[in-house]
Amino acid sequence: MAIDSSVYGYMVDEHEYPDKKVILEEGSIGDWVYVVLEGQVKIKKKTAKGLVTLATLEEGAIFGEIPLFLKREKLRETTVQAHGPVKVGILDTSRLDREFELLSPQLKGLIKTLARRLSESIEKISQVAGR
Amino acid sequence: MDAKDRALPTIRLNYRKGDLIMKEGDYGVSIYRVKKGHVRVTQQQGEMEVVLATLGPGEYFGEMVFLNKSVETRSASVRAMDEVEVEVMHPVRLSKEYDGMPPILRYITNQTLNRLNRLNKLYAQLLKKKELESRGPTDPGVAQRKYFRKTLDQTCIYKPVRSSDKVRLQGRITDISVGGLGMEVSSRNALNVRHEPGEEFIIHTTLPSGREIELIGKIQTVSRNAAPGRIQLGLKFTRLTGEATKTLGFFMMS
Repeated sequence: MAIDSSVYGYMVDEHEYPDKKVILEEGSIGDWVYVVLEGQVKIKKKTAKGLVTLATLEEGAIFGEIPLFLKREKLRETTVQAHGPVKVGILDTSRLDREFELLSPQLKGLIKTLARRLSESIEKISQVAGR
Repeated sequence: MDAKDRALPTIRLNYRKGDLIMKEGDYGVSIYRVKKGHVRVTQQQGEMEVVLATLGPGEYFGEMVFLNKSVETRSASVRAMDEVEVEVMHPVRLSKEYDGMPPILRYITNQTLNRLNRLNKLYAQLLKKKELESRGPTDPGVAQRKYFRKTLDQTCIYKPVRSSDKVRLQGRITDISVGGLGMEVSSRNALNVRHEPGEEFIIHTTLPSGREIELIGKIQTVSRNAAPGRIQLGLKFTRLTGEATKTLGFFMMS
């Protein structure tokens, strides 16, 4: 997936992580939105039977976006870990937030439902995988 | 508000408990917002109907077709779980706004959508796997009757469980299910090794998926009528390792 050009206008910082380094820890507080610039990251979830990989994200992929849409959910629901050396960009969350708030209530509500359903499916997978 | 908006106002609809509001596979453009009550979102994944979400007041559904322009049919079914009132919107107004959204927000939203779709598939796969694991190969015939068989044409190496490693017989697996398999062997194999009901064999083969698997099963049926010089065996699995159960389960799902 190529990195959309719109991303660069919102990037405020870049970080590099070595293989296996945890970028976001499940349960931690945070609302930064990230983009994978180089390399891959794995999204993992804690279950009763250990960590389960939900997805592998590649260049251009966004992660950490759920709190942007669901304001109450500021706890990270998944652990994001570098899979090989990785470079990520950090996006200007407050600017993204301001632009999101300008949308109509309907469009905002629609997108929030999407984020809520993503959150719920992450939780469901955690329960099934842990059985 | 332009002419189109005036012609397409928001509609209010009421549903009773159990009513189907949206059907998977149907064409549809409406976007729904729950005003009262709760709805259940389900999807057919293979033979299973999977519950994806329960939505309440203020939440939307029917948005997938709107957000993912390459899809025209509903990705899930939605049913009322109690007395439900929904607001139905025609997407035309939202569509304009969506197209005019800051590209970065559209970019992020599309990824959230894709991730949701992929996780729903993963969820269904995990559910199926757990179901297979909980039934297991040692369950009585009931579980096996429900599972379909896959026809195969796969060579295998087998030998009686209680025999020396030097014994190496070749057979051909003709069909397989999570409960057992059908195998065809040369009648010459039966000259020195008993091929009768009750005999337990250990079988090694490579599945079409490329995965090697070790299976242990007892002969249930023996047929010498099928073809000259060939014996048809029906085996029921008696013992499978966790690894074999998983490998077989995934193969049967594919």
